[in-house]
Amino acid sequence: MICENCKERPASVIITKGYMGESVERHLCEKCAFQSETIHFNPDQEPLSIQQFLAHWFGGTEPFQSHQQSRTATSSRLECPRCKLTFEKFLDIGKFGCATCYDTFRARLPYVFGKLHSGHTAHTGKIPVSFNESYAIKRKIEEVRTKMQEAVAEERFEEAAALRDEANKLQHQLAHGGEADDVY
Amino acid sequence: MKRINFNTSLLMGVKQTMSIEKFIRNSVAGWMATHGEHSDIVMTTRIRLARNLTDYCFPIASTEEQALAVDKMVANALVEEGEKPSYSYMKMSSLPSLEREVLIEKHLISPQLADPKRHGAVMLSEDETVSVMVNEEDHIRIQCIYPGLQIEEAYKKADEVDDLLEKELPYAFDEQFGYLTSCPSNTGTGMRASVMMHLPALTITKQIDRIIPAISRLGMVVRGIYGEGSKALGNVYQVSNQVTLGKTESEILEDLGNITARLIVHERKAREVLLEKSRLALENRLFRSLGTLVYARLLQTGEAARCLSDVRLGIDLDIIQNVDVSILNELMIFMQPGFLQQYAGTELTQEERDIFRAKLFRERLHIDGIAPTSEKRTDE
Repeated sequence: MICENCKERPASVIITKGYMGESVERHLCEKCAFQSETIHFNPDQEPLSIQQFLAHWFGGTEPFQSHQQSRTATSSRLECPRCKLTFEKFLDIGKFGCATCYDTFRARLPYVFGKLHSGHTAHTGKIPVSFNESYAIKRKIEEVRTKMQEAVAEERFEEAAALRDEANKLQHQLAHGGEADDVY
Repeated sequence: MKRINFNTSLLMGVKQTMSIEKFIRNSVAGWMATHGEHSDIVMTTRIRLARNLTDYCFPIASTEEQALAVDKMVANALVEEGEKPSYSYMKMSSLPSLEREVLIEKHLISPQLADPKRHGAVMLSEDETVSVMVNEEDHIRIQCIYPGLQIEEAYKKADEVDDLLEKELPYAFDEQFGYLTSCPSNTGTGMRASVMMHLPALTITKQIDRIIPAISRLGMVVRGIYGEGSKALGNVYQVSNQVTLGKTESEILEDLGNITARLIVHERKAREVLLEKSRLALENRLFRSLGTLVYARLLQTGEAARCLSDVRLGIDLDIIQNVDVSILNELMIFMQPGFLQQYAGTELTQEERDIFRAKLFRERLHIDGIAPTSEKRTDE
């Protein structure tokens, strides 16, 4: 079946929508479903798809909602500021929309990953070289700032000012891809 | 035979280094060579790395402009970085559907990438062992396929390409979660390592039905390479890692290597037992299959795959001589619908495909002492 919305890609998701007291079903592709509201997966999909896996393990979004409500009664639904994916929809479609989704849903992800990856929740493998560099700079900035605070506390103001300049320089370096900028 | 010329659109700064025709027409993919360790049982080793660019939404949520920008960035990074540009760039939207199907059948691209509406593209290395897919489920999918059992070697190559791209492209990476991917089942290393294994004796003796659930408990998945689920077409299975988070690349590769080694031992033992206990029945089955491939006038994919598996087993056990395994590898690729039609130079109906497939097998297995003399006359 072809997606009812874009009429281009194959439909893989059924969207159920309440309309004038009746529920209306729409067959959409993954991409169009991403932009729609409530989603229920086509049951005749291949077994053990990631969506069904998540839906099965988490029974929709209920465990998270009750968990969330017990913590804070006023909490609104979690939505990625960049791609607008909500956590509920993430569980439904089983895909992240962008890297920012990981930040947005960070607190809830260890639970999801634990189920998917035999209890593991943190990466232990390869680290990109570029990331290593910026990680090293971040660590250095923290180190310099701690020294600066010590210097201030001990009223060594000249040294503190030098450390502040060093931290700023590192901060600039971090923001500009690890290259020290002499012009600055 | 009809010759087809392909027009590939080129990205700025990306030089086309070879004809796409080579990738389409050459039936034996680089990974289909018959060398590599345990190549009688392990047909290929594949490593796939999923990577994304931090500044763009993943393909599922990206706009057309973003998808095109990603495409351009990746293509430029790969071509400019390499000292000798040795990758051919192909855009899915500029390839006819039959050619896309052929690339899928050669395992050089995924079915998902082939959708021309998705702004997908692929960069293929000259020897067809490396393919870099752009705008698949993730921005970048690095795939490396080696013949036989070469887990370390295949990873080393994929890792090199990854390092090359990483120098140019800002990857989406997180201290806690590692490489960020669209699907949470790839998060962490973004790596899927797999081996494609021919396990006829374990299938004939039904031991595979007990082995598959046991392997899945070890964080690995076994599935039929062409069919879904455990029903494998041609007794070819793919074993791959399920877990991508919380284990290092080398731990995952080691686990896969251990399981593969155990499967090889089991398969060899099952072959010995089959030979010992029911040699005549086995010989009968294998020669009948060879007969089918050499004489059939109509051959469906399923039957062809089953018979190919039998003949391959016959060669491995030295029961069938005079047939070259490399021809079988070629036929495995060629017998698929897309390739068959490419070979025929025209689109074919289901029945026409079965006729053409049978003809192809008769031609290719035309070996002295096997093919009947009357066959020679009708063909010439």
